[in-house]
Amino acid sequence: MSVIAPDFKLSGFIKSLLDNIFWILLLFVLIGLPAVFMILIVIEMPIIDGELLTPFLALSYLVNPTRTLPVIQAFMTTDIFRVMAFPGFGFAALLAAGTIFAERKMMAKIQLRVGPFYCGKFEGILQLMGDGLKLISKEIIIPAKADKPIFWAAPVLFVATAAAFVALIPVAPGWVVADVDLGLLAVFAVIGFFPIITILSAWSANSKYPFIGGIRALFQMVSFEIPLILSLLGVVMVTGTLNLSEITASQSNFPWIVFLPIGAIVFFIAMLAELERIPFDLPEAESEIVAGWLTELSGMLYGLVQLGSYLKLYAFAALFVVLFLGGWNGPMVVPPFPEEIITEGIEMGPITLSIEGLPLLTQEMLNGTLWFVLKTVGVIFFIILPRGVFPRVRVDLLLDLGWTKLIGLCFINIFIALGLVYAGVLGPGGLQ
Amino acid sequence: MVGELAGNYSTVVLMFAFGIAAMAPALVISRMISPRKRSNPVKFLPMECGQVPSGEGRTHFMMQYYPYILMFVVFDVMAIFLYAWGAALLELPKSATLPMMGFLAIMFGAMAPALYLSGKRRIW
Repeated sequence: MSVIAPDFKLSGFIKSLLDNIFWILLLFVLIGLPAVFMILIVIEMPIIDGELLTPFLALSYLVNPTRTLPVIQAFMTTDIFRVMAFPGFGFAALLAAGTIFAERKMMAKIQLRVGPFYCGKFEGILQLMGDGLKLISKEIIIPAKADKPIFWAAPVLFVATAAAFVALIPVAPGWVVADVDLGLLAVFAVIGFFPIITILSAWSANSKYPFIGGIRALFQMVSFEIPLILSLLGVVMVTGTLNLSEITASQSNFPWIVFLPIGAIVFFIAMLAELERIPFDLPEAESEIVAGWLTELSGMLYGLVQLGSYLKLYAFAALFVVLFLGGWNGPMVVPPFPEEIITEGIEMGPITLSIEGLPLLTQEMLNGTLWFVLKTVGVIFFIILPRGVFPRVRVDLLLDLGWTKLIGLCFINIFIALGLVYAGVLGPGGLQ
Repeated sequence: MVGELAGNYSTVVLMFAFGIAAMAPALVISRMISPRKRSNPVKFLPMECGQVPSGEGRTHFMMQYYPYILMFVVFDVMAIFLYAWGAALLELPKSATLPMMGFLAIMFGAMAPALYLSGKRRIW
């Protein structure tokens, strides 16, 4: 029997609000203010431009753009910013969240439903936030005989591994978290961790459905790893480098999908299999084995695995864009930063504000990011489209597809690349 | 030199660590604000569609696809070896491709009988 929630009373709500405000004020006056004064007495404030730095002066610095913009610019070149915000976790998580919402709406349209509709007034735009709050406030139930440390750690490791994958993707010229020489091999190394985490999570649950799902995930990833690796060899052969930034820069005239379409198709199919998406969603086949290796995960553990899998989806789509669709390359559509603002300043009524340190972001970077995001969104669309269109394949057909047909196509692709290089079409003296 | 090379990869590790540092608090907060009721031991049994679970959770499995795992161990390494050649293809003389053709022939030639044998159910 669940307890029915008591009726909402406005007077009670206002009383609780006033209570909270009273306690916050009391604690601030009794503890907060004395602490601030004690710190001000103990710490010697620095002298800047012949003036003693008082809290008032510090606040006036904060709202002065000529002082804050260089600090922001310096901060944007640090590793911390890159890891946390732009080409790293924040950017990827934003795109992943958008993907989840777009996928739910798109599936609904394909299946003649409305999808998320009420939360957030407009087309259910806040549904994702509501789901997050729901997941975080749900009880986490762990099977009694489960291996608890591994069971807790596996979803976190899944997200962290997906984040490490995101770190290797170049978004705009110079905007990449880890610009390593062997970038593509590092990608393969990171991808190799996913089946291990899956099988660890499945084994630690000590339940039958997760175990079956984990074994399926293992076989699926094993049989599609080799087509995945071999399908990208053609790109490496015609560019002669493994650095992902250099591979993107080499496609300024033609994207490689023009010359190596077979490799692109094989990589796309192997990507769908690695992402465990329909038609290759055997590890989480919900009509056969409940939810596969996710069966025993509840509450936030499930939420973390979902976040990790969508980060992985973004990273794979971005890898496809970087390798075959030309990454950040595209016609310049972003207008240049207006010169008058730099030379003369902004006129706001009687005052003229001249700001040093503008522009914060270069035109190339904005344009590259725009094209990268557009292409990535397009690829993500084609990744989530099969979910509404195709049925699931059988396990033996899956293994047969991965081991015979795709590997055969990969070899054809390698010989096409070899022919293009030796015929002088690509490489030194060729088109690019 | 080696340290410099390894240092390039430190941001990947940093990103991995940030993933852990950002996501572990979500679990901790969830554990703090979510209800924890230990009222019923049946709740903590493994999920078997509403039935009382029978037998061990980690059952012995008939590994029907075991030969594919064996093939993976061999051919994954061979596929990575191809990258050393592919990345240097533009600098190599054309005569250096002939040994690679031999390597590919061995790889293909080994894969075909391996696939044929792994398809025969009786011997596994």
